[in-house]
Amino acid sequence: MLKFLTARESGIDSPVVLRRIESTKRAYSLELSKHRDVECVFYGGINSLDIDPVESRYLLSGTVSGTLHIHDLTNHSGEVKHTTKAVCNVSRSNTYKHKHSVETVQWYPLDTGMFLSSGTDRTLKIWDTNSMKPADEYEFSGIVYSHHMSPVATTHCLVAVGCHSSTLKLVDLKSGSATHMLKGHKKSILTVRWSPKNEYLLVSGSEDNRVLLWDVRSSKGSLMSLDQFNGQEVPTFLSACTAHSGNVNGMSFTMDGLHLVTSGTDNRIRLWNIETGRNTLVNYGKIQNETRKGLQFAVSCWCKSDLIYIPDEYCNIQVYEMFTGRKIDTLRGHLQQVNCCVFHPDYQELYSGGNDRNVLIWEPELDGSYDNYLKERSSKKQTQSRSFVSRIAATADSWSSDEET
Amino acid sequence: MSKRSIVNDLYKSRKRVCTAPSSAINETSEFNDGLNGTSFSAAEIPSDTKVSLLHLKELFPLERFEGRLPVVIVKHQLYSLINDRTAVDKELNTLKLANEIKLFKLGAELDDYCIVFTKEYQDHVIKVMSELCISKNICNKFVNTVIKKYTDVCINKDTLMNEFNFTDSEITQLVKASVLTVRDVGNWWVALPNAGIFMKCFLRGRKAIVTMIRKCKYREILQTELEQRKWPKVCKLGLQYHMHEVIGADLIKCIQTTSGLLLRLKDS
Repeated sequence: MLKFLTARESGIDSPVVLRRIESTKRAYSLELSKHRDVECVFYGGINSLDIDPVESRYLLSGTVSGTLHIHDLTNHSGEVKHTTKAVCNVSRSNTYKHKHSVETVQWYPLDTGMFLSSGTDRTLKIWDTNSMKPADEYEFSGIVYSHHMSPVATTHCLVAVGCHSSTLKLVDLKSGSATHMLKGHKKSILTVRWSPKNEYLLVSGSEDNRVLLWDVRSSKGSLMSLDQFNGQEVPTFLSACTAHSGNVNGMSFTMDGLHLVTSGTDNRIRLWNIETGRNTLVNYGKIQNETRKGLQFAVSCWCKSDLIYIPDEYCNIQVYEMFTGRKIDTLRGHLQQVNCCVFHPDYQELYSGGNDRNVLIWEPELDGSYDNYLKERSSKKQTQSRSFVSRIAATADSWSSDEET
Repeated sequence: MSKRSIVNDLYKSRKRVCTAPSSAINETSEFNDGLNGTSFSAAEIPSDTKVSLLHLKELFPLERFEGRLPVVIVKHQLYSLINDRTAVDKELNTLKLANEIKLFKLGAELDDYCIVFTKEYQDHVIKVMSELCISKNICNKFVNTVIKKYTDVCINKDTLMNEFNFTDSEITQLVKASVLTVRDVGNWWVALPNAGIFMKCFLRGRKAIVTMIRKCKYREILQTELEQRKWPKVCKLGLQYHMHEVIGADLIKCIQTTSGLLLRLKDS
């Protein structure tokens, strides 16, 4: 580490090298945080998490009981042992909460004054953070599995909403219209994502085993359907090139927008090159996945070789190297199935929420020496306070008074 | 691989080690493969996958099948020998395109492929076809076109009729010889004749090894102990063969312990 700092200082290495090496080292060595946890205000299992893209400071979560919570991730207390407190909630008593479960939450990409949530009560609500009331609401004909708003859009204000029974709608926030529908899927759409590089490229994955790429400006339909065999094995139905052999329930772009990771109920993860639309054929092995709704997994960023953090069926989170498919680690800590993971881009921490109503923080493993220092400091404090208490305890009792003889 | 060793790679020293120029530039050194004496020149050192394929070839008990089958290797076995699955897939693809091996789809899962060396497949097909009294004409045509030139797992009607000039009756003869099996209207899998014999033994053996481990206390057993157990004679393929296959197919987890490799049944 010191060698890299000196190299950076003298200009031998570019600044990116130091950031990349340190991020990679931290992202590889995640373990359950020993000193920090998230205040438990959840009444039900957590379905979706999002960190605000502006300052990476607030964690937004949506639960099974229709409530939403915002936690402040920064630690101003000065102590190492810290509980991340909830700053505001849409609690059970709030009249505007979702009637059934919340499936997806997302911060407005430009600032934290607004966030969007959608759920099984078939609505998409746009919330004002300061008053914690919805500024707008959209109703759909089927339950909303997933919605996403483009993180780089400057010319449009569209929210892509994937619903039950093959409805993929684009909601325009500026005009309030929710009529633009993209036709192409045959069954429910479980996950939608905008590309982080191209503001018009939308990707949707559905129960009919396909992943479709859309350019929202074109009126002709989807650009292409991703094919897991890359056209080699002659398909039985020539029109069906499927991305997975089961429902596509999770998608994530890499930070540079060049690759897309998808996961499906055929227990496979696939990595796609978005420029050509081809399957890169990286073999990750089997990852048990039977989720019938959307699964939110995380991809690290700023690393030399990126990692995929994906929840599996047995309450664990599996960590795979993205370009070689090697399994790095299994993160164990949850008591029930994990529904969502989100990676903090600056701290290289992972936040995961599951059906056991916990959000766990996974931190990079620190050196043993820092832990020893903390132990010494806390034991010193304890010995000081103990001696103080004993002086009083020796002479105090409840009936005698010091003034009397 | 432990996390620490991966992380240490990033911090490795950048000192360049000076090597003395090798004096034997012109001589090509020969490497002896200890297994069966085949030697490779320095220019063509075989890839990891090829070496594993040759090693697994030795495990297959040819004598037990009395010449009815060539050496069949299951793709999963390679995953148990080599850590990096993507590299295995890539190298298999290059070998397939170079027509050194042939892949066949065999099994229920989408991923179950069997590997047979092209030369042995050719001999096997010629033998089977002559036993079934299929005309020499068709046999030679099939060998020269499909075996020598076509590298994919399945073939469709257009390719057979237009590129390779097979007629409908000839295709029927090929299906009768079980070198082609029907997948769909106009789509055939390129197949291994007598594959049924192999599949029967294979499924029996896989069930045997999984039951053996399931009956153990805590559903785990040391590899050395498993090798000492009695293997039923009915399953002809042998314990080592099945062990590799079951590890690579992700049915069994391998855990390194101080007393050797521990095999534990994955929870399902």
